[in-house]
Amino acid sequence: MSNPTYTAIFYLFAAITVFSAAFVVFSRNVIYSAFSLLFTFFGIAALYVFLSADFIAVTQVVVYVGGILVLLLFGVMFTNNIMDTDLKTDVLHAIPGTFLFLGILAALLFTFYTTNGWMPSDTQLQGSVVERIGFETMSRYVLPFEMASILLLAALIGAAFLARYDNGGTNEH
Amino acid sequence: MLSLIVFLPVIAGLIILAVPSSQKQIIRIVSLLAAVVQMVLAVMIWRGYDPSLAGITAMAGGMPEGSFQFIERLPWISLDLGNMGSMNIEYFLGVDGLSITMVILTALVSTIGVLSSWTIKKQVKGYFLLYNLLATAMMGCFVALDFFLFYVFWELMLLPMYFLIGIWGGPNREYAAIKFFLYTLFGSVFMLLVMIGLYFSVIDPLTGNHTFSLVAMASQENYIKDAILGPDNAMWRYVAFIVLFIGFAIKVPMFPFHTWLPDAHVEAPTPISVILAGVLLKLGTYGMMRINFPLFPEVFQASMYVIGVFGAINIIYGAFCALAQQDLKKMVAYSSISHMGYVLLGLAAANSEGMTGALYQMFNHGTITAMLFLLVGVIYDRAHTRQIDKFGGLASYMPVYAGIVTVAWFASLGLPGLSGFISEAFVFVGAFSSETTRYIAMVSVLGIVFGAAYLLWSLQRMFLGKRKDDAAYDLVTGPDGQEQIHFHDWNGKLDLDGRELAMLIPLVVITIFLGIYPMPIMGLMTTTVNHLVEVLSPVMMAVVN
Amino acid sequence: MFELPSGAEIQSIISILKSGLGFFIPEIYLSILFMGLIILDLALKGRNKSGILGWATLIGLGGSFYFIAQQHAMQAGEHFFGMYVLDEYAIFFKYFFVASGMFAVVATLADRKFDAEVKSIGEYYALVVAMVIGMVMMAAASDLLMIFLAMELVSLSAYILSGYFKRDARSSEAALKYLVYGAVSSGLMLYGFSLIYGMTAETNILKISMELADHGYDPLVMILATLLIMAGFGYKIGAFPFHFWSPDVYEGAPTPITAYLSVASKAAGFALLLRFFYIAVPHGVSPYEDILGIDWLTLLVIMSVASMIYGNVVAIWQKNVKRLLAYSSIAHAGYLLLGVIVMDEIGTQAVLFYLLSYFLMNYAAFYVVVLISNRTGSETLDDYRGLGSKMPLAGAALTVFLISLVGLPPTVGFIGKLMIFSALLSKGALYIWLALIGVLTSVISLYYYMLIPLNMFLRESLEPNEKSLNPGFLAQLMMAVLMILTIWFGLFFEPLSEFARYSSAMFGLSLY
Repeated sequence: MSNPTYTAIFYLFAAITVFSAAFVVFSRNVIYSAFSLLFTFFGIAALYVFLSADFIAVTQVVVYVGGILVLLLFGVMFTNNIMDTDLKTDVLHAIPGTFLFLGILAALLFTFYTTNGWMPSDTQLQGSVVERIGFETMSRYVLPFEMASILLLAALIGAAFLARYDNGGTNEH
Repeated sequence: MLSLIVFLPVIAGLIILAVPSSQKQIIRIVSLLAAVVQMVLAVMIWRGYDPSLAGITAMAGGMPEGSFQFIERLPWISLDLGNMGSMNIEYFLGVDGLSITMVILTALVSTIGVLSSWTIKKQVKGYFLLYNLLATAMMGCFVALDFFLFYVFWELMLLPMYFLIGIWGGPNREYAAIKFFLYTLFGSVFMLLVMIGLYFSVIDPLTGNHTFSLVAMASQENYIKDAILGPDNAMWRYVAFIVLFIGFAIKVPMFPFHTWLPDAHVEAPTPISVILAGVLLKLGTYGMMRINFPLFPEVFQASMYVIGVFGAINIIYGAFCALAQQDLKKMVAYSSISHMGYVLLGLAAANSEGMTGALYQMFNHGTITAMLFLLVGVIYDRAHTRQIDKFGGLASYMPVYAGIVTVAWFASLGLPGLSGFISEAFVFVGAFSSETTRYIAMVSVLGIVFGAAYLLWSLQRMFLGKRKDDAAYDLVTGPDGQEQIHFHDWNGKLDLDGRELAMLIPLVVITIFLGIYPMPIMGLMTTTVNHLVEVLSPVMMAVVN
Repeated sequence: MFELPSGAEIQSIISILKSGLGFFIPEIYLSILFMGLIILDLALKGRNKSGILGWATLIGLGGSFYFIAQQHAMQAGEHFFGMYVLDEYAIFFKYFFVASGMFAVVATLADRKFDAEVKSIGEYYALVVAMVIGMVMMAAASDLLMIFLAMELVSLSAYILSGYFKRDARSSEAALKYLVYGAVSSGLMLYGFSLIYGMTAETNILKISMELADHGYDPLVMILATLLIMAGFGYKIGAFPFHFWSPDVYEGAPTPITAYLSVASKAAGFALLLRFFYIAVPHGVSPYEDILGIDWLTLLVIMSVASMIYGNVVAIWQKNVKRLLAYSSIAHAGYLLLGVIVMDEIGTQAVLFYLLSYFLMNYAAFYVVVLISNRTGSETLDDYRGLGSKMPLAGAALTVFLISLVGLPPTVGFIGKLMIFSALLSKGALYIWLALIGVLTSVISLYYYMLIPLNMFLRESLEPNEKSLNPGFLAQLMMAVLMILTIWFGLFFEPLSEFARYSSAMFGLSLY
């Protein structure tokens, strides 16, 4: 993995991810943000590939890009006056925010460059990992898997509640 | 017996809870009955008390029997704390010479307080509920021999007191109530930490467990050597002594911590002032004698001089402030500060005379100040003002009132033949005979002079001379052709009525009787005080170490 | 290539899962209850729907006590391949969270604002149960993956619950704020988890501990990971400096949810915090040092002191009762952290006891706040004026609960503080300064807590109509019972503290 080409490509994708993510946050136009999110998702998928997690990368593309992002765009497009909405908030603690950001970044970078002692994984992944993921999900990770289903159910109910049109209580005024 | 005397007011409170709030008279009578029964019980305890037993510490072997009397000791809570052993909290009551004096005083003052509360018109039910809770807490403090139990009672006093000042008080009552609450809580939270520290440092010789028992804590041989408040940790023992002392000094109140007292007194209704001055202030000095000094005798030895100095400051500063007051009640409040200074001075002397004087002064100050505040309340009820300047020449129109005022005022300034004289004399004898406090005592004598000054001056301005132009009353000619005074909005009897006499006459009698023959009270305390002096003496400490 | 395991291996996996299932019955029951409530919501029609649903939730949650009680007889151990543990500590929190869920339902049934604001209550009760499941899992999770999932389940349910008054702008603001802060802090926490995983290649906290002890670790990475993880935990317990969400959320959310968040969510955070730091971080010979020093402990000390001071001081200026209680809950997080810092059995016992006492007094205080706002429609301090004479029992009860929150005897809150300070002082002179800060800040807390009784009893109402605002017999009874319990456990706290001590046993703990 120390091949310079690899490294270059890695940094390329990392940069795409970071900058498009920044654009999502800083853009004032929600459409631009939504499209920019596309690049973020792709960049992350590419990073998964670098980690030999092909299956996750594909899932990332299919689920996030193919599903969620499209849904998001639908939602954005169908909303009235979305182009005119100014998304900027009134309170913007720009200076403390920047300091906090730079501080955390510096701390992380300093730590990563001055320490070693990471534990490399001893399993080398080869070929398709889909079966293995399937097997692990149904054996070792069955509890988190079920847990996730309850989590999603709760999220689903919550989303349905929030989305429902509600014009008042049971006792109409 | 002691449980009954402590919890009787709470039982009365429960009965009151069941009475509908419109039945004000029943509520008052139930409270009065409880107080009277409490008084009777106090007298029974007094009769049954054997003054030859020492108290303070346990007998050899750690048994409190034979030293304390009327002991009630039950295991209350036993907590398993894993490798720290078990935490044992006991329901442990008992009296010795220190407590018995205060038990009698408390029962007396709270009975008089109920009588004085008859004039309370607003929310009578709530008032007497809180009053009874307060009465239980006060009595509990004086008979508790388990530090935890003592602390519970000690803190239990704060909330009723806050509401009693805050709801039934004067115009500035919110400020006074929260100031009182914050000051006392500030003092007592440190007590909590010291209590926990002591718990981890003391072993009960009977059970071998850690204990909260004040009796076990009073014997230095029960301390674990290297524990946090053990003999090896001199620094923390000093710190603990100082914070405990501050906690109690706030209650006394001692000079830099006294500012809550005038506010609280001025705003509090008369019965609460009586309770506050008559009993609550004594808890500060009682706490010092019961907990602060015997638990840390070596630190007490080192700080006697400082305590004496603070006592002298209290005496003189209180007297000076009293001299400057226009408000009669504020003057009496500052006189309390001055008189509690004598107690501190007597304690600092650390000999039998001084300690006896201090304890006796606590009792006498309780009765005399109760009288003073009641008398202030009487005139305030009639005139709705307490400004000394607004009166003049009252003596000829209210002769009974003026007579009792004279007795009370003279008792307060220490006229021979009245009880205040004896206790102050003992304090000064003790202070002069102790090397440490001799010079402090000389300065403190000035306090007597100033005390006489403010008391006599106020007496002269209010009762002698003629009606002033801006006085709080008019002169009218009565039906019998005699000139008499008329207070606005006052339809009751001009001079003292029956209820007021019922409160004041017993106090006057006690003051005069104990001024002539102090032994009924003083005789109770001698053995205990001598033992306390022994516990605090350097010789005793040398034996232990 | 991946080769399918042999039949015997599959058999053994199945048998592990099957045996694990036996230790998982309360959670399964709660999940069924969760889904059952959704179905019941769909099936029910008619006017009394919200009442029926509420009572069904209450009874359903109560039923789980039976299954939890049976777990006392079971052997402590790890299940589902180290994802989940069953020990007395977890069982304690199972009781705790189910009870707090029940109390949230009771408070909701009492709150009239729901009738006016909410059209469909079905999701509400289902989400309350979902949050109970999440918190139960938080207390028992022993794997970073499970910890994260459980926390997300709790957070997601809480976001929606705090925004349940959709038409109320403050409620929506609360939900959004909670969501944004929650997302950031759980992101930071995940980063911390990934650092730990990078150092150990393990996600099970017991194995992490062993790995770190065997191979050692770089202190810099460890402190960074701790800091990031603390962002997630600190957000859940609402401690300074991760408290920013709490005042707005507490004020805006429906009051029963405020109570629920302030007690249960905080307790879940502490359950996790204790387990994570006591087990995952390896400890050296001396009990309060991990093998490379005490770095994470220092972080906790700083957080604790800052929370106590900040929460208590800022609360002084609050004008809204819910906001005031929000700041006080920050301070209480600080007191609880003091017990964590002690790092021994007494400390754990003190934390658990304090949580129990906090449960009682804080829920009870919020319950009275609900009843009062039913009558007055307001939660500002000024509207509490003169309420003492109109609602005497509510006034007296609230005073007792607030006194308990200050920590004055003879209430259960005093015993909580006593246990915390005893734990600190049992370490000798080491932590005296922390105990000092603790007692001094509790003096400050007296001032602002007393503002409520001050307005209720000492001040006259602005509208002097002398009608009494009786909140109904059941509510009166409830208040009286809570008040008596607060005092009763302040005098006879042995059963509670014994329960706390018994429950301080964690599986795989070598600390004490």
